[in-house]
Amino acid sequence: MDMPFNEILALAMIGAFFLLLLVGLPVPICLAVTGFVFGYIGFGDMLFGLLPARIFGVVTNYTLLALPLFIFMGIMLERSKMAEDLLDVIGLAMGRLRGGMALAIVLVGVLMGAASGVVGATVVTVGLIALNPLIRRGYDKGVAAGVICASGTLGQIIPPSLVLILLADIMGESVGTLFAAALIPGLMLAGLFVAYILILGFVLPDKVPPIPLEERQAVSGRDLFIRVLKVVVPPLALIFLVLGSIIGGIAAPTEAAAMGAFGSILLALVSGRLSLKVMTEVVRGAFVTSAMVFFILIFAQVFSLAFRGLGGERLVQDAFAFVPGGIDGQLLFLMLLLFVLGFFLEWIEISYIALPLFLPVLHQSGVDLAWVAILVAVNLQTSFLTPPFGWALFFLKGVAPPELKTSDIYRGVIPFIVLQLFGLVLVYLFPSMALWLPDAIGW
Amino acid sequence: QQSFSWKMTNAYGPGSPFYVEGPGSPTDFCKKVAALSDGRLTIQHFAAGELIPALEGFDAVQNGIVEMNAANAYFWAGKIPAAQYFTTVPFGMDVKGTNAWLYNGGGIELWHELYEPLGMIAFPMGNTGVQMTGWFRKEIKSVEDFNGLKMRIPGLAGKVYAKLGVNVQLLPGGEIFPALERGVIDAAEFVGPFQDRRLGLQKAAKYYYTTGWHEPNNVTELLINKAAWDSLPADLQEIVKIAAMACNVESNSWCDATNAEAMTDLVDNFGVVAQPLPDEVVEALRPITAETLEEGAAADPTTRKVHDAYMAFKKQYGDWADDSAEPLLPLLYKS
Amino acid sequence: MLDRLLRLANGADRFVRLVGEIMAWTGLAMVLVIAFNVCARYLFSFGAVALQETEWHLMAVGALFGMSYGLNRGEEVRVDVLYGNFSARTKRIVNAVGAFLLALSALAIAYLALRFVSQSYALGEGSADPGGLPARWALKAAIPIAFALLALQALVAFLRDLAVLLRGEDAMAAPVPSES
Ligand code: NA
Ligand code: NA
Repeated sequence: MDMPFNEILALAMIGAFFLLLLVGLPVPICLAVTGFVFGYIGFGDMLFGLLPARIFGVVTNYTLLALPLFIFMGIMLERSKMAEDLLDVIGLAMGRLRGGMALAIVLVGVLMGAASGVVGATVVTVGLIALNPLIRRGYDKGVAAGVICASGTLGQIIPPSLVLILLADIMGESVGTLFAAALIPGLMLAGLFVAYILILGFVLPDKVPPIPLEERQAVSGRDLFIRVLKVVVPPLALIFLVLGSIIGGIAAPTEAAAMGAFGSILLALVSGRLSLKVMTEVVRGAFVTSAMVFFILIFAQVFSLAFRGLGGERLVQDAFAFVPGGIDGQLLFLMLLLFVLGFFLEWIEISYIALPLFLPVLHQSGVDLAWVAILVAVNLQTSFLTPPFGWALFFLKGVAPPELKTSDIYRGVIPFIVLQLFGLVLVYLFPSMALWLPDAIGW
Repeated sequence: QQSFSWKMTNAYGPGSPFYVEGPGSPTDFCKKVAALSDGRLTIQHFAAGELIPALEGFDAVQNGIVEMNAANAYFWAGKIPAAQYFTTVPFGMDVKGTNAWLYNGGGIELWHELYEPLGMIAFPMGNTGVQMTGWFRKEIKSVEDFNGLKMRIPGLAGKVYAKLGVNVQLLPGGEIFPALERGVIDAAEFVGPFQDRRLGLQKAAKYYYTTGWHEPNNVTELLINKAAWDSLPADLQEIVKIAAMACNVESNSWCDATNAEAMTDLVDNFGVVAQPLPDEVVEALRPITAETLEEGAAADPTTRKVHDAYMAFKKQYGDWADDSAEPLLPLLYKS
Repeated sequence: MLDRLLRLANGADRFVRLVGEIMAWTGLAMVLVIAFNVCARYLFSFGAVALQETEWHLMAVGALFGMSYGLNRGEEVRVDVLYGNFSARTKRIVNAVGAFLLALSALAIAYLALRFVSQSYALGEGSADPGGLPARWALKAAIPIAFALLALQALVAFLRDLAVLLRGEDAMAAPVPSES
């Protein structure tokens, strides 16, 4: 089959992007340079006139508000030492259970996920508050990074979620149906993570050590109880403030993130840890960290625009022509395709390019689109974790100390990718995992 | 013969029925043009977010980077206030009246006059028909029920409601359902039965008010770069006009057919209470709307011109509608 | 020549940091504005379209000006699978090339954005919603300004890497004379 010049360019652009990434150029620069160079060769400077509009679209995207807001909350919790105390106390309370602090992180991921649907927001926030304490407590760096990335991406599947909102739009399902359909698969994934950590504790105990015995013995049961109350209550109150304002009908999901950030200021104030100095630190820290995420999102626009302009979506269409018939074959191909696209494209682009191709086939076959949407959502969530171009990995790297190497993160997330794929197979084999709840509550 | 390869962007996301896909939709328009011109004019369609974000088509067409954009003219109200009149006017005209104005009452000429200084022209390419007041968690019994009501309603209608004490909220499409379901907002306006059911709003609120005072019709705008348009030979120009006209008819009839089915389904199977707004409410909204439109016209000479032309046509058309359709409709559809 | 440029670079660096330190407060402003909007709506059913639009206006300004400040504070995300094992000199070369390419890209975007802004300005673009914030073009103008600032900071980084490459690792450690 003859491949048009521009499609070859699209492939070459992806190759060049990986190369620059590997050489160690910062991610935004790799995105911009490959986008500009290959786009210019393919279609000249014409389409780049659309770049400012795309950038304006990113920075004014209402749903992305949750990102700087949660990061603000995370930094406030970190700078006022509330987060570190919390994880320490949880570690103590878990006693000799190995992996106790990692389990706490999965729980935090689920709770934060229930409050936000923007992947950067949760990964960065959990990374900010949990990475250093875990490493300090002797956790294997890879395991720590893997747990944080995987737990942080749970926010994408546990409703509310930006991915589900977009999928609802593309697939013509109601947002409510997808939110309900995603809940059980999301919790199931969290359950898989928990099981993995517990097993890891038995098989490779050194990687997820409990708090040392002496330190635990130094704290009496009564002391520990008081410390738990003192340390656990404030952050829990915060999470209830965020979730409660959604459930109680006070705030829409994105606004709830602001309630959390506002609550964190009040908490720091009440506990006497807020000063102008701390506030200035928090404001600047949150600014730099949000900027790191936006820097990548903004420069990704150059790459995506070039990919579109070069007709990169036709690569996908061409591949689609080779798929054997039958809905199972189509679904398998869809999953494979999403997984592969996840190596170099961001999820919004993936959803727009791949899904519309399959919609006619899916409609004809009569499968439940809510179920397909959940399969897609789990798959996309996996793509956030997939090296080398998983958004979650970059975002964690952005808040990690330099001694945490990219290779540690890659190594750490692989088991979680396997778990995610296992979860995907489960949803595929048992569609009722997704379809039962929306039916039961009539959404 | 010369052939042309154009691009069209769209303000709505991939897969949206009516707005992107389906009979008389913008993608259907592209197919019709390709078929009618035997491939001499092909238009590649990009849904919102594929090439540019939803509301950036105006600039892209003006720059000539894309030749066409599908949207609603009232999205450009921040740039050209008078554009509002080419989508819908609260207490304005319905589909029939609007088409009469656009095609045979000087409407399209006025539209071109508005855009030509910016290097663009426009044609009607679709119509949703009448839209619904929206979904309410509580029944509306009087004007007082609007005081303090938290409602998702963008645009001019929001300004009118605000004068009744409504707390106007601008949530994006994806947050309407969770916010309405939890009671963050008390009411939400969206489109009509078919599109609203797609969003699942019937699961968040039971009272569906049907008086389309705020959007008695809603025109899809085909925006075209003028230089690109002028470069087309006369026959291709005619094909574009005819395809847009065909889509205007077909999309509207598609909406009427699907809305009829959806409304029956919503009432029969979801227990939705569908009813018009109380007369008292409508009569309170009417003078406030006139006052609001007058404010807009007073602030901008171009808006004044379009407003006066629209209202003059409406008066004449309204008298005819009173004579013709008004007595007939109940005879046909009330059984 | 290089000394002069380095002094200019130091000045530019301080300028970018100062702008960033001011812009950083948009984050707190955003938290307070949204919290106010939520509480006022819930408690008093009060809401203003302009205040709702302020939410994402603040985010836009913060996201755009954050880039140059992030670069100023040395926040860069990269894959270090190979980079981590490079020699100090090779790392410098990668950084210098990266900074130069970033400066070019940022300048290109700043240039492209000029038309985006002037188009909006020519129409006096404001909010499409009645009661919304006026002067949408002013918000759009943040794009070329922010990218010009980013290009400036990237040039600072490029100059400093270049100086080290030309004069050895201790070039930056030695203070750059402040008077010529
Ligand atoms: Na979520
Ligand atoms: Na509407």
